[in-house]
Amino acid sequence: MSSVVAFSVFGVDWEFLKPYIVLGLALGGVYALSGTGIVVLYKATGVLNLAFGAVGAAGALIAYWMVNHTSWPHWLAYTACVVFGGVVNLLYGVVFGPAFAKRDPLVKMMGTLALALILLGIMAWRAPAGGAFVRVLTLPSSSHYYTVFGARVNLTQILALAFAIALTVVTTLFLRYTGLGTAYRAIANDREITATLGVPVRRVEASAWLGSGLVCGAAGLLLADLYTSLDYTALTFLVISSLAAALIGRLESLWVTLAGGLLVGFVQSILTPYGSVTAYRAATPFVLSIIALLWMGRRRVVVFAPATP
Amino acid sequence: MPSVDRPLLVRLLVIAALLVVALVVFPATLGGDWINTFTSVAIYSTVAAGLVVLYGRVGMISLGQIAILAIGTWIATRLSYVVNLPFPVLLLVTGAITCVIGVLIGLPALRLSGLYLALITLMAAGAVNVVLAQIQFPNGGGGFTARTDNPSLSGLKAVPRPSAATGDNAYYRYTVIVCSLMFLLAVVHFASKPGRAWAAIRESEPAALAAGVNITLYKLWAFALASFITGVAGCLLAAQIGQPNTYSFPTQDSLSLIATALIGGIFTLWGAIIAGVFMQLLPFLFQAQWSVNPNFLLVVFGCGLLQVLLSAPGGLIDQFPKDMANLGRLIARKVPLTRQAALGIASILALIVGIVLIVMLKSTPIVGIVVVVLSPVFASLSQD
Amino acid sequence: MIEVKGLTVRFAGVTPIDDMSVTFPGGACGLIGPNGAGKTTFFNVLSGFVKPAAGSIQAFGEDLLKLVDYRRARWGLRRTFQTEQAIEQLSVFDNVAMIHEHSGEGRSARNEAVMTAIEFVGLEADPRAKVGGLGARERRLVEVARAVVGKPRVVLLDEPAAGLPDEETRHLADVIQRIPQHFGALVVLVDHDMSLVSACCETTAVLDFGKLIASGPTAQVLRDEAVINAYLGTEEEL
Repeated sequence: MSSVVAFSVFGVDWEFLKPYIVLGLALGGVYALSGTGIVVLYKATGVLNLAFGAVGAAGALIAYWMVNHTSWPHWLAYTACVVFGGVVNLLYGVVFGPAFAKRDPLVKMMGTLALALILLGIMAWRAPAGGAFVRVLTLPSSSHYYTVFGARVNLTQILALAFAIALTVVTTLFLRYTGLGTAYRAIANDREITATLGVPVRRVEASAWLGSGLVCGAAGLLLADLYTSLDYTALTFLVISSLAAALIGRLESLWVTLAGGLLVGFVQSILTPYGSVTAYRAATPFVLSIIALLWMGRRRVVVFAPATP
Repeated sequence: MPSVDRPLLVRLLVIAALLVVALVVFPATLGGDWINTFTSVAIYSTVAAGLVVLYGRVGMISLGQIAILAIGTWIATRLSYVVNLPFPVLLLVTGAITCVIGVLIGLPALRLSGLYLALITLMAAGAVNVVLAQIQFPNGGGGFTARTDNPSLSGLKAVPRPSAATGDNAYYRYTVIVCSLMFLLAVVHFASKPGRAWAAIRESEPAALAAGVNITLYKLWAFALASFITGVAGCLLAAQIGQPNTYSFPTQDSLSLIATALIGGIFTLWGAIIAGVFMQLLPFLFQAQWSVNPNFLLVVFGCGLLQVLLSAPGGLIDQFPKDMANLGRLIARKVPLTRQAALGIASILALIVGIVLIVMLKSTPIVGIVVVVLSPVFASLSQD
Repeated sequence: MIEVKGLTVRFAGVTPIDDMSVTFPGGACGLIGPNGAGKTTFFNVLSGFVKPAAGSIQAFGEDLLKLVDYRRARWGLRRTFQTEQAIEQLSVFDNVAMIHEHSGEGRSARNEAVMTAIEFVGLEADPRAKVGGLGARERRLVEVARAVVGKPRVVLLDEPAAGLPDEETRHLADVIQRIPQHFGALVVLVDHDMSLVSACCETTAVLDFGKLIASGPTAQVLRDEAVINAYLGTEEEL
């Protein structure tokens, strides 16, 4: 029997907020997931991938198509979404990565903006959003419900959060204790020197693109489910929330990225039932990102290189 | 006393000729839809000019210029419900207020550069969009935002155009003239003290500091100029649309703007004009004239942006003449091309041929898309 | 005269300048030392890019460290860098004029001041030519012209002869020697070319590992055993 004792801390009715907290933490888990992918890729290649959302959205659309327009088993569709994320990111990284390798991080990021544009164009062409028609992608895990701390949670939400935590643990261990992980950190430090040490730099970078791409596909799938409607534009720009998580982690620390993602999801969701601020809750990732960026830029650094490409 | 040098004279003649074509030939020969589109071209070219100032000249990337444009449009619309200003005054006031807001947003961003500056402008633009999505555009209601969900017919008035230019043709000419003045303002800046200071800052901040340049002041000045001309463009947009709303500023426009600005050529104002043409004329041609899905242009812009980033930082205005010269040399004098030059030509040709194929093969656009995607691939190969 | 007392700079676990005290009496002064000795860091402190952890710098009786970085140029501090910093798209004239523009001097004197500086360094290129199209020698002279235009008080030259052939180094030596008497400025010259330093500078200071190890008349300093050891190393009994 679930607890019906309402409790009040700081004058807030937590019982009432529980469903929002649950959703917020689940979404936050996905932001952290995607954020971790962004951070690892940035560490290994210097590329801040803003196309993560677009790739995830495209993968989700493919999964949707496979579920609703073919008779193939659903698990194949979900796998396709994850694999799509890995393949598209890998292709981009292999084809364009080396040419961008010596460029400024700003230029590398703008390359991913170009990728996002291309994907947006293709998605708008193949899956035009319009009028009353709404696409919905629901994972099978969403029909299993549990009660945790007196709140109603579905399996997808649990998986999102669990996956985020697991990924943070695994990636931290990976970076610290495996040869490949050390190679990532070496390349992040100095690509040229690492190459002269005999590290197959391009292959290591390709693995980073593939790994982060798979995470991106998984995140796209989870978001499509948790957000209840498959709006590819919204999904594309959800990369901002993942980016907020990554920025809170200073593009550096995976655990802080996890905390950051949960914070973004939590704050945004918890503001939902409060009428006076609810319309502005969408600004949460933007505001938190701005604070994170101002904090990261607080020391005045004098730069000796010319600014434009 | 040195005579006026030839390149300057040629440039002035070209500008004069373009103005004649724009102000006289176009209204006389083109229909209403075309004229409306060219009004938009002029407006968005001005926004792109702001980017040329910020990024091309000072080295400060801004991914939030569409948000600044939206702010300008909002202010102009709001003001039109409060006072009945003569249009030139409305332009100046809108520009001034947008300028102040732009500087305020720019202040905390001053310490940042490169990637972090791009991100903070992106985030600031996002926050502005959230606010705009909530308060919407004024439509005659009460309160600070002058918005009501049940506007009475008398409250819902359009932003008035200048009394001398209410018709579409006349307003188009008015817009072209105002935008030309904005371009002139930028040119005057470039040719004098701030322009030199900006060039120094972009080249190297330490050297600029050592030269005595007050970097904070000149960076803010650049924000001020870019915000002012974008604000004026916003006011022009408000009067063009009449009753603007948030659909006038879709989120992907920010991406399209930076893409077309770089594709056109971020280092010169000519590139800004090309940016406006790409961003407004091409979609019109695709959708209204050739019945092709304008979303393909997003793919084109993405590929063009990649191509510019990889191999042609100066954009089309810089790269196209060079590539054509190389091609000409190959054809005329059989001078063999270097691998890099050949790939450069292939890359631009792939872009152009791809666009043509998308338009012509309406039933199988995938062909054109594949060709267009080859453009950045060639560009990437040319960098090896 | 520049008086440096107890200057210490620390960052990222390194101490590039360690309790350095030296006086630059006037005229042209050399500042030498092996790579990594702290010479460019010292210039960066003077320019205002680096904040010292301790110490003071008095130049012509004024506390230099109190001035905000860009205002030091207005005060009269000028500098060249190891890598070229002239703006390629601007003309020679504009490059030099820009320094004058931001030094607080009036516009009426500008043309004359710029042409004086250009002629002083012996730059024969057309002042309207873009710097991007000039050769290495001329670009180096543009840098020096930027450093002396107007009313400079302290001119910091950071390896101006690096990579230049002998003939041009001789021309540069001649120019540098004349700066103090022509403009009344104090010159601090950092370079590895000892013949250039001997030719231009009456006095020289030597840094090693951020510390001052010798200072005085140039000829004397260059023969100092501690200085030679700093550059060449000492023999160790194994």
